[in-house]
Amino acid sequence: MSDQLLIIAGLSAGTEDKPILHNIDLTVGAGETHVLMGPNGAGKSTLGHVIMGDPIYQVTDGTITFDGQDVTDLGADKRSLAGIFLSYQAPVEVPGVPLYSFLRTICQMRPELKTTARKFRERVGKIADQLDIDQNFLTRELNVGFSGGEKKKIEMLQLLLLRPKLAILDETDSGLDVDALSIVSRGIEAYRKECDGALLMITHNTRILERLTVDRTHVMVHGNLVADGPASLIDDIDAHGFARFEDALAEKAEA
Amino acid sequence: MATQIITADQTDTLALSHVNVPPAQTWNYLRINDIAFDVPTPHFVGDVYARLPQLFGKLECGIGDEAVSWMEHASGDARYVEVRASEPQTVYVDIDSSKTEVHDTGVLVRAGASATIVTCAHGEQGGTSSSLLRVIAERDARVSIVEIVACGEGQQHLDAIGIEAAEGARIEMRQYALGGAKVALGLCCNLAGASSRFVLDTRYLAVGSDVLDVNHVVRQRGRSTRADIVTTGILADAARKTMRETIDLIHGAKFAEGSEIETVLVTGDDVVNKTLPVILCDEEDVAGNHGASIGAISPEQLDFMRSRGLSEDEAERLFVRAMFDDAVIHANGAETRTAVLNRAETVLGADVARDMAEVLGFDTEEA
Ligand SMILES: Nc1ncnc2c1ncn2[C@@H]1O[C@H](COP(=O)(O)OP(=O)(O)OP(=O)(O)O)[C@@H](O)[C@H]1O
Ligand SMILES: [Mg+2]
Repeated sequence: MSDQLLIIAGLSAGTEDKPILHNIDLTVGAGETHVLMGPNGAGKSTLGHVIMGDPIYQVTDGTITFDGQDVTDLGADKRSLAGIFLSYQAPVEVPGVPLYSFLRTICQMRPELKTTARKFRERVGKIADQLDIDQNFLTRELNVGFSGGEKKKIEMLQLLLLRPKLAILDETDSGLDVDALSIVSRGIEAYRKECDGALLMITHNTRILERLTVDRTHVMVHGNLVADGPASLIDDIDAHGFARFEDALAEKAEA
Repeated sequence: MATQIITADQTDTLALSHVNVPPAQTWNYLRINDIAFDVPTPHFVGDVYARLPQLFGKLECGIGDEAVSWMEHASGDARYVEVRASEPQTVYVDIDSSKTEVHDTGVLVRAGASATIVTCAHGEQGGTSSSLLRVIAERDARVSIVEIVACGEGQQHLDAIGIEAAEGARIEMRQYALGGAKVALGLCCNLAGASSRFVLDTRYLAVGSDVLDVNHVVRQRGRSTRADIVTTGILADAARKTMRETIDLIHGAKFAEGSEIETVLVTGDDVVNKTLPVILCDEEDVAGNHGASIGAISPEQLDFMRSRGLSEDEAERLFVRAMFDDAVIHANGAETRTAVLNRAETVLGADVARDMAEVLGFDTEEA
């Protein structure tokens, strides 16, 4: 199974006093597109953050292997350098740090992206145009006073700039107007094509998936992965909701 | 304009013992009530030159009368600028600290006029420099001030700013303290007219054994006046900083609102960080707020930056670079940018400074 990019095996995790994820198994192959669905509070964002290495959550069992390396005990910075990217559902404001300074620093950290300042400016300028981001955002402080939609676009800018091997997009589509949604969808499409990166999309909304070929769909209920299937599972959920998965989990628990 | 002070020898100094005295004193043992400076004794050849119009003499400058009087004498001469509504102007005050320059500047911004004022103190090594800037903003005037102190090793600098705002006037100011062995920043803004407004964004970085001493005073006299002071700082190594922030809500200033907040990132083990936030209140229908957070980068910010590949150390370094980047972005003029970049070179190294200039697109610029 060495061609798998991400292998999660028997993973349980939670906060200090609350187990959230139970015995998760999930694999994502290089360049594949996976969708993770589930009702509110199921644990989808938690899984994204645990894969990223957010220290708020503790892994109590199981392993996470990325690109052939066991990353279960690595810090988020190391995982990021290894090629994992998580777009935040709510990106954090960092006063005092102009966007340009931030972008330059996170790029120069990576041997594969290290480049001259001039080439860097060109790249950033191109991607900003592609995402319809005004150039004057680059000299503003990171996410400070940006609207919800603008913050999401800045997350996309970082995704396209960093070219990770795996991108976990946590409701990147929520709160976007129609125009922004189509720009962001095109950005995701560009990431797939230009970087041949793998995607784990967390979403409640199927519109963002229209431009993508989905390889696998996973359903999470109460911290358990209860089903997976082909792209058509998304339409099934759209039509019938999560009830049957919740019932099945309840039955299993009783048995 | 500027006069180079000629001193007989190094011992010919004058002691200024009460610099940056806050309006409300506290316990003496806290050693926060003032700072003392040894400055060169002014020598005169002939008469004192042109003085500013008398109006300017009445302005409170935060740094204190003793220091103001020394600066007036040491400069020997003053520069007066009048900005009219028909002609917006940018006024530059360039202070070469290595030449121990002392500047005394008065700017009168007429009713409805717009002015930008940039003061920049810079130098490589040694000497005591200073700048005294007094600004009178008439009714509905718009004034933007950028104050940069980017001095080098062994340099002392005293920077004083006094502002008076008439009805509806709006003062926006960015203050950058980026270096100097011993630096005093005194500032007083008198919001005299109704609905006048003062917005101050202060950023400071002190490294090595630098001493930074700040006194911010806002007098809110007019009704519905507003003052917002946001301060962000980084203290490294064995730097020592004292920050006094006073918002004085004076009787009669109904519906006035003032706020002050300071965030400090302390990266050095031997840092001394003192803050004295004060809201004086002699009026009932007012709102005053102050807050301070001291320590590290917030956990949320740190987790976010780590998820993009930065360790805690790298995140701290980013904050330092970002402070210089931000100063370059707002420096407003090639000479000022060069001064900031030179200081960045001393603190962060030549490679980083060059990278900053190139990324921001100022690498081809001639100062
Ligand atoms: N840091 C935390 N501290 C305490 N509880 C948490 C924390 N993070 C997540 N939880 C809890 O874990 C459960 C799963 O939350 P999570 O945010 O992962 O859900 P989700 O599937 O992303 O939901 P949504 O679709 O609403 O975004 C919720 O009950 C949530 O309250
Ligand atoms: Mg979520």
